[in-house]
Amino acid sequence: MVGNKGIKKYLTIAFFLLPSLVGMLIFVIIPIIASFVLSFSKWDLIGDIKWVGFSNYIKVFNDPTIREAFKHTLVFIAGYLPLVLSISLGLALVMNKKLKGIVVFRALYFIPVISSWVAVSMIWKWLLNPEYGLINYLLSLIGILGPGWLQDPKWAMAGVIMTSIWKDIGFIMVIYLAGLQEIPDHYYEAASIDGVNRWQKFWYITWPLLSPTTFFVITISLINSFQVFDQVWIMTAGGPAGATSVLVEQIYRNAFSYYKMGYASAISWVLFALIFTVTVIQNKFQKKWVNYDE
Amino acid sequence: MKSIFMNGQSNKKSDVKQRTRYPKLFIGILILAMLLGMLSGCAQKAVETNEPTPDASSSTAPEATDTTTTKEPVEIKYMTFSAAPDHLEDLDAMIAEFEKQNPDIKVTYETYSFADYFTKLQTVVASKTAPDTFELNYENFVTYASKKALYNMDDLMKADADFDSSIFNSTALNAFKYDSKQYGLVESFSNVVFFYNKDLFDKANLDYPNDSWTWKDELAAAQKLTDADAGIFGTYAPIQFWEFYKTIEQNGGKIFNDDKTEVVIDSKENIETLQWMIDKIEKYHVSPSDAQMSGQSDGDLFKAGKIAMLRTGIWMFDSFKDADFTWDIALEPGNTQKAHHFFANGVAISKDTKNAEAAWKWAKFLTSSKEAAKIRVDSSWELPALTDESLLTSYLEKTPPESRAVVFKALDTLVVPPVIGNWNELTDLVGKELDQAKLGQKTPEQALKDAKTAIEGILE
Amino acid sequence: MMNKSRFKKLIFYVILILGSVAMLLPFLWMLSTSLKTSDATMIFPPEWIPKEITLDNYKEVTTAMPMGRFFLNSIFVALTSTFFQVFICAMAGYAFARIDFKGREVLFYIYLGTLMVPSQVTLTPLFIIMNLFKWTNTYQALILPGMFSAFGTFLMRQFFKGIPKSLEEAAFMDGAGYITIFFKIIIHLAKPVFATLWIFGFMASWNNFLWPLIITSDTTHMTLPLGLAALQGRWTTDWNVLMAGTMISIFPILFVYIFTQKYIIKGMTHTGLK
Repeated sequence: MVGNKGIKKYLTIAFFLLPSLVGMLIFVIIPIIASFVLSFSKWDLIGDIKWVGFSNYIKVFNDPTIREAFKHTLVFIAGYLPLVLSISLGLALVMNKKLKGIVVFRALYFIPVISSWVAVSMIWKWLLNPEYGLINYLLSLIGILGPGWLQDPKWAMAGVIMTSIWKDIGFIMVIYLAGLQEIPDHYYEAASIDGVNRWQKFWYITWPLLSPTTFFVITISLINSFQVFDQVWIMTAGGPAGATSVLVEQIYRNAFSYYKMGYASAISWVLFALIFTVTVIQNKFQKKWVNYDE
Repeated sequence: MKSIFMNGQSNKKSDVKQRTRYPKLFIGILILAMLLGMLSGCAQKAVETNEPTPDASSSTAPEATDTTTTKEPVEIKYMTFSAAPDHLEDLDAMIAEFEKQNPDIKVTYETYSFADYFTKLQTVVASKTAPDTFELNYENFVTYASKKALYNMDDLMKADADFDSSIFNSTALNAFKYDSKQYGLVESFSNVVFFYNKDLFDKANLDYPNDSWTWKDELAAAQKLTDADAGIFGTYAPIQFWEFYKTIEQNGGKIFNDDKTEVVIDSKENIETLQWMIDKIEKYHVSPSDAQMSGQSDGDLFKAGKIAMLRTGIWMFDSFKDADFTWDIALEPGNTQKAHHFFANGVAISKDTKNAEAAWKWAKFLTSSKEAAKIRVDSSWELPALTDESLLTSYLEKTPPESRAVVFKALDTLVVPPVIGNWNELTDLVGKELDQAKLGQKTPEQALKDAKTAIEGILE
Repeated sequence: MMNKSRFKKLIFYVILILGSVAMLLPFLWMLSTSLKTSDATMIFPPEWIPKEITLDNYKEVTTAMPMGRFFLNSIFVALTSTFFQVFICAMAGYAFARIDFKGREVLFYIYLGTLMVPSQVTLTPLFIIMNLFKWTNTYQALILPGMFSAFGTFLMRQFFKGIPKSLEEAAFMDGAGYITIFFKIIIHLAKPVFATLWIFGFMASWNNFLWPLIITSDTTHMTLPLGLAALQGRWTTDWNVLMAGTMISIFPILFVYIFTQKYIIKGMTHTGLK
């Protein structure tokens, strides 16, 4: 009887998980394992594979270009993550209101997300233009002499961060919006009857009940921002003078420009170890603040 | 729990509606998807018929007579970056002509933008599914030849009685040799010359640039042509690696010694050259800085009449032809000697091909046949590197610019890029140092010293 | 009281409209550039409303390449892979959220871990696998990898974890199993998150560039981003033509987004169910 139940349970699990597992294994996990194996090799993709042990990893830790790229990646995360998360949460709260025409606004705020990076980069290069750009013009109105932005090594990363935030808030907003739908209206109704004010509603109802979504958003954004690439590649290609060079940009260059697949894989796995550690730590802390109904 | 059911009750109507609606939505999508699949099946045929086929009248005739002994035509694949987006029709025309001459060979092609081409090529070579023939620019040719991905053409050349290598520009053809074996045929080239705005010269009462000009003459003219109030700058050349390796040769400098065993990028001549490139912006103010260019390309600025003299590629002819001033080209001024860019594309055969002979025929036709050369010249799809000048008359007759012959005169002093195995890495490393010198973060001397160390780190 | 709330609403609208303008900039710029002659694209500072409006760029985009074909391919690939992705992720996400089994945490970490390896280094191995199956340049090679998403599984898991358990307990008491509960109850609650994953999956597939670049090799199978990339020359690019192509390419996503948003709002009126 118990065995029967066990079998039934495993059949159920298989039913739910197997389609996903098989596909993930073939199309995702095996290629990932292959890249791990390749990280111990020297392979230019054209000739034969040579095995080189740990030398790629030793090189990663002694490569000044990678060290710079690592620093810039951290700067990007520090500037991007807190702002994009808070702005998009605020926006989602507004968009969740039952206002007239809100659907139109939701669509408008999503436009940057669906615009191509090429187009976005063109317009932002213009907005950030030191002499004619709108942003420096606005700064001049309040008496600030704007910097050279993308042409100035000190400010180029700030320009990339601003553009990224602007492009991504719509994306995160949509996830928050889906999460907000889960919070039952009657919680708020009950709270209103008790005379609870807006902030208290947010802190005691919205924030805790939204926490599984917030946890998701933080985890995903952290993983993605460690792998920032597209905007850097299209806007600055890592310049000026390497000031916006980031890790995945270096991985891409090594894999597809320098014919060093082995080294690119090794950098990727160091990056993996880094992201994984951060995620595990974050996962440990989640129990303190993420509220599941269990 | 009770409250849930209560709520459920009140929502029953919409709940039922929801339940029936959901499958409908997804079935709808599924049907749509299947429909599209079928639709694309039909479209497939449409596209295939669109593909280049030899002139209908000429191709059906031999087939009709041959029906009893129809030989399956050999299919040759070709991959190119230079055809899209502007020359697909020209490539179709070349293929049509080739298939007319070789009814037993059928050519299909794939085209990608230059930026993505090598990502694609590298993957198909890695999985041993490379196309029979593919296009390579000179720099990447060296990489692929050195990694032994290409077919040695020497035997094919010898076996082919019709082939005469003297129809090629010999410097250009030799560029596609590696280890003194021919691994590619030169297909086309492009170069960089000295463009100038005649109207601005006339206004300043200056003589036009001529072939004996040096950097000093250029600077003297630039200082007279620069008009800060009108936002007009005398001269411009970008500060980046490609410009650098040519400019140092104009001053007798080099990146490597002759057998590429030693890095000489930090020589006295080179430091002087880099200083000169920077001084035009920072000291003499005759060239715009990046900030002053405000995101516009040098070509845009020239066309807008804001730059009087510009070093740029002959691929800009087309874009400049409707400028509202007259312009012409000259040889680039040098300091101690002349030097001009040379960007060549070649056609190589994959070492894994099963149809080397057919591939050879196609490569030969594409690079050196009169028919292909004519299509190429007429459509300004770069230039064939052939010695037969009669092929170029239609190109030379076109204006502007009036002095088109300069394009070919520049070949006498061409500089081949100083390619090594790790070329792309070299260009990135040196590019970064040049950036730092341009931004004033390093002196030219320091930047080139650091570049030397960086290059030595990647020499194999 | 009434006035105060009306004033607040006004402020909301003002902020929202100002934000929308900033959000719309690139879209307007794309639109304006796509209607310009190539000379007008060089004018600086750019003109927002071109003096001479032309539709030639749209014509050129559609004639230079079989864009119609690329468009259909993109739609077909995006629709099929997203359709399966939503279901496969929902099922896996439900197992991760609700069913206890040995190794669940480890397996979940493996799923999460797959998001942490940059795709740049897994593309070539994946291509070699497809080549082993003799699937290069096929629709299945374009579609299948898009059906499995660790991101989607994670999104679903988080969503299901947020659903009050009490809802399922009632059904359990009635003797229903996980499968029945999933199809009878959970799926109906998951509308907003389904719609969300649907739009993300569609977008990811629609914009995917590197994988179609590597796996396809003829115009029969190529997708829209490849067609757009082919509009960029080695030395020069006609921005007006490229932007016309880009305009064509973003409309389907905008349409899908507006379509799915309807479902996200619908979900709101049913929250009473919980």
